[in-house]
Amino acid sequence: MAEISNYKVAASPHEIDNSNTRRIMLDVLIALLPCVVCGTLFYGLYALLLVVICTAVCFLSEQIFNLARRKPLTFDLSALVTGVILGLNLPPRAPWYIPVIGGVFAIVIVKMLFGGLGKNFANPAATARVFLLLAYSTVMSRYIGADISGNLLGTPSDLPTDFTSAPTYLSGGTAALSGSFWNVSGYPGYVLQLLFGYTGGSIGETCAVAILAGGVYLTARRVIDWRIPAVYLLTAAVMVLACYQSAREIPLQLLSGGLLFGAVFMATDYATSPKWRYNRILYAVGLGVLTVIIRRFGAYPEGTSLAILILNLLVPVMDRMILPVRFGQRTKSGKPMPRVAQWTALGLCAAMALALAVGVPTVAYTEVALEGGTYASVRSVSRNFRGEYEFTVEGEAYLADYDYTQPLAYVVTLDKEGKKVTDVEPVVQSTMGYTAELSLFEGRTYKEILDLTDLGTDAETSATHTNESLREMILECFAAYDYNIADYETIDYAGHANIVRAERRGDLYRFTVDGVADLAEYNYKQPLTYAVTLDASSGAVYAITTLTESTYGYTLDKPVFLGRTAAELSAMTEEGIQADITTGATVTNVAARDMILQCFAALEEVRHG
Amino acid sequence: MAIFKKGVHPRAHKERTRGEPIAQGPEPGEIWLPLSQHIGAPAIPVVQAGERVLRGQLVARKAEGVSANVYSPVAGTVKEIVGHISASGKKRDHIHIVNDFTGESVRLSPLSARTRESVLARIEEAGIVGMGGAGFPTAVKLNAEGRADVLVVNGAECEPYITCDERIMLEYSDELLAGIRLCMLACGAKEAVIGIEKNKPEAIALLRQKAGEGVCVRALPTRYPQGAEKQLIYGCTGRVVPEGGLPVDAGAVAVNVHTALAVCRAVEKGEPCCERVMTVSGGAVGRPGNYWVKNGTPLREVAAFCRADEGCARIVCGGPMMGEAVFSLKVCTGKTTSALLFLDEKECVSKAATACIGCGRCWQACPMGLAPNFIEAALFAKDYAEAKRCGALSCIGCGCCSYVCPAKRFLAQSVRLAQKTIRGRGI
Repeated sequence: MAEISNYKVAASPHEIDNSNTRRIMLDVLIALLPCVVCGTLFYGLYALLLVVICTAVCFLSEQIFNLARRKPLTFDLSALVTGVILGLNLPPRAPWYIPVIGGVFAIVIVKMLFGGLGKNFANPAATARVFLLLAYSTVMSRYIGADISGNLLGTPSDLPTDFTSAPTYLSGGTAALSGSFWNVSGYPGYVLQLLFGYTGGSIGETCAVAILAGGVYLTARRVIDWRIPAVYLLTAAVMVLACYQSAREIPLQLLSGGLLFGAVFMATDYATSPKWRYNRILYAVGLGVLTVIIRRFGAYPEGTSLAILILNLLVPVMDRMILPVRFGQRTKSGKPMPRVAQWTALGLCAAMALALAVGVPTVAYTEVALEGGTYASVRSVSRNFRGEYEFTVEGEAYLADYDYTQPLAYVVTLDKEGKKVTDVEPVVQSTMGYTAELSLFEGRTYKEILDLTDLGTDAETSATHTNESLREMILECFAAYDYNIADYETIDYAGHANIVRAERRGDLYRFTVDGVADLAEYNYKQPLTYAVTLDASSGAVYAITTLTESTYGYTLDKPVFLGRTAAELSAMTEEGIQADITTGATVTNVAARDMILQCFAALEEVRHG
Repeated sequence: MAIFKKGVHPRAHKERTRGEPIAQGPEPGEIWLPLSQHIGAPAIPVVQAGERVLRGQLVARKAEGVSANVYSPVAGTVKEIVGHISASGKKRDHIHIVNDFTGESVRLSPLSARTRESVLARIEEAGIVGMGGAGFPTAVKLNAEGRADVLVVNGAECEPYITCDERIMLEYSDELLAGIRLCMLACGAKEAVIGIEKNKPEAIALLRQKAGEGVCVRALPTRYPQGAEKQLIYGCTGRVVPEGGLPVDAGAVAVNVHTALAVCRAVEKGEPCCERVMTVSGGAVGRPGNYWVKNGTPLREVAAFCRADEGCARIVCGGPMMGEAVFSLKVCTGKTTSALLFLDEKECVSKAATACIGCGRCWQACPMGLAPNFIEAALFAKDYAEAKRCGALSCIGCGCCSYVCPAKRFLAQSVRLAQKTIRGRGI
């Protein structure tokens, strides 16, 4: 060996790990891939084109800036990461110049003018999104619904001139989501739909599954600190619980808008997030609080980008002010340095986890089983944290003039006692203006709704059919409450063989009655069972719940009977019954009338011995 | 139990030498014995040019204050006392001795009365210094009567490549344990904890079996820098050495296993500290292994003995994380040279530094809880007050920050420079 040679002399360490900036950026690009794929699938090739344009513009503007400043070209892939993230933040049908302006803004203004990689004062993509939202608010909030085959080749010029944005959950509530997804309807359907991102929104931020896959990859590769997204989501969940007072809102809010995408890909940006892990927790808490406050009380439905931008500005201060406690560090009096930031961060997390653990069951919805009764429109019932009962109802309105059947779905809320309607929320109804007049029902008692006769002759929307359908649905909600929720006590009755059960709750008497509809034409005897509730104080039919009847549509026309007294029913002719009906189930109605009259007889016997 | 959680996981590279029993190293024809093989003042020569010395003869006595005696590892003639290149690259005084290969030797008389004072005096007389790499005179360290109640023995050996401590624990376990008892006696500790990383299960099992009362073995997670003094004391006892303080401030004294072995040999056999076990490894070495190497042996002799070849791109005295790279084979080994690495091109990675992306990995890795990238930025801005605020003075130089940096920035080097500047200027 040579005595003195070209031995490389360097200060220790002589061993370094094989991580490098480019590999980190490559990992982020790999993690973004599922989002790009889902965005393309849901919103078509034009969405992919937007992402590609944005990425190319970001890369080129960085190199042009380098050339102009006579600096070496940079190939660390960071511009591509910014480009893809910003591209995925755009609405799927944004015009081509949006990614161009956004990309130049993100790279030149936010990143390069402040010193390039690692020196940007805020996340370039988040800042550019906020800038675009302010400068081009119309196009930036114009979303289309997800459609795998329908959107494939669509471009902005395909949109009708009077195109209005497809509402997102954040701007339009659950009405913006489709009633059922993969045959799962109602609330689980909404969650499932948002989880797979099959809804309107920015290209890459709707599909939670894809985002989470990317997040898991980045965490496994140790590229991002899982604390930031985890604490961000935890804080947001607690804030949603506090601001919306609903546990059901938590998954819907967390999975909507850019929250998840921002938490995984934008809040974790190295240059603009704190360096110390406990600082990162505090930062993520700030993000969660701000995001939900902007969403709940701000003018914009979406708060993620703005929250990230604002917290980014605080990061340099946080980093300078809150340094880790050094090993063996002492206070001036010689005591071990208290780990204030660490305890605060961990304490906050523990408190929030506790708040969720305590808060969610308190405001949780409990599903109420619908047993026994068969309902035409009531699909499910749950009890909310106020003790009210929320009925999910589905039905239809037949608009004879147009020969069109309008599907309808509402959430009807009844108060604790099942006495009145506290809220009616539309889920599906006509978009043509034939919408139900909710004020006809909201705050009204059962009796008032039962007695409603004028359903639309003077209604502004003239949505008579919709109102009628809704009224029937609401009446059924009361019946379902009566049969499934109200507490009845069994009473002894052995008077009539057809009456198999008798129960009482105050003035209300409920009889379970068997009968037969003799369908002579078909040579078929249809067994019937109804639970008939009679109001002893008014002597009228209070509610009827179907337990057994034909599945062929020959079903009882309940409105014919509800609210009628025994005398009125007795006086009713067969023609009278028939005249009122829509299903043509004359035989069933006639049989039912007799059954109800038997119940009235039973009522007399029970009350007067 | 306290577990040291920060630091990094470098590749171990120990497989080439860990199975090699300790062998006799080269017998150099000439040696240049450094007068400064320890922290503190250089020793003062007590021999003159032309004088004949024997193996084990005192050639330089300790100076006032913190210093250590130096003994000749060979029999021969003193040629001159001369400025010779040292591992740090600077010229330092060395005693140049020409070996006459007679092997004539003298020893100190074995110590019969073993009291605290006599053991301490013998440790001082034998010139024993911390052989883990720091080179702090052991007698000074162990002189902690009444202030220390636990002796922490460093068998962690967290640096990559190095396996000499592991071999010592396996091959000289009895002498090692005897040395530990002597150190306990010297410092007045009631108990001793031997900290060994879990990647040395045989050593853990063997020492556990032989340890006896008052000595326990603690298996530590494999994680660099587990063997750094403060981290080791924390991992073994849960005690935190205060910032700027010494282990005694936490009631502990830490010694390396090789130091304990040297103590045993000095006391029981009267052997002064003039040679040591050294790991010779690296991609450019044909005969890697653990060897007894005499102090003052030029690297050239070791390179020839271990068949280091032309593929060598970097020579490191010590481990790759904290060792010094040398540019000349004239450099000689000393009491603290625990390893000699001849790294080939593949092992000797050096990449250009790119922009700091602010990932914070250096913050998470730093075992002392510093903010390395902030210290670096403060250094470049010549804002030494800020560098100090970010903890530059507490740096132990482990190199974890540079190791993890994805931008390949020279963080540890910058922090060291900041530390030196702050100390130098008294900021």
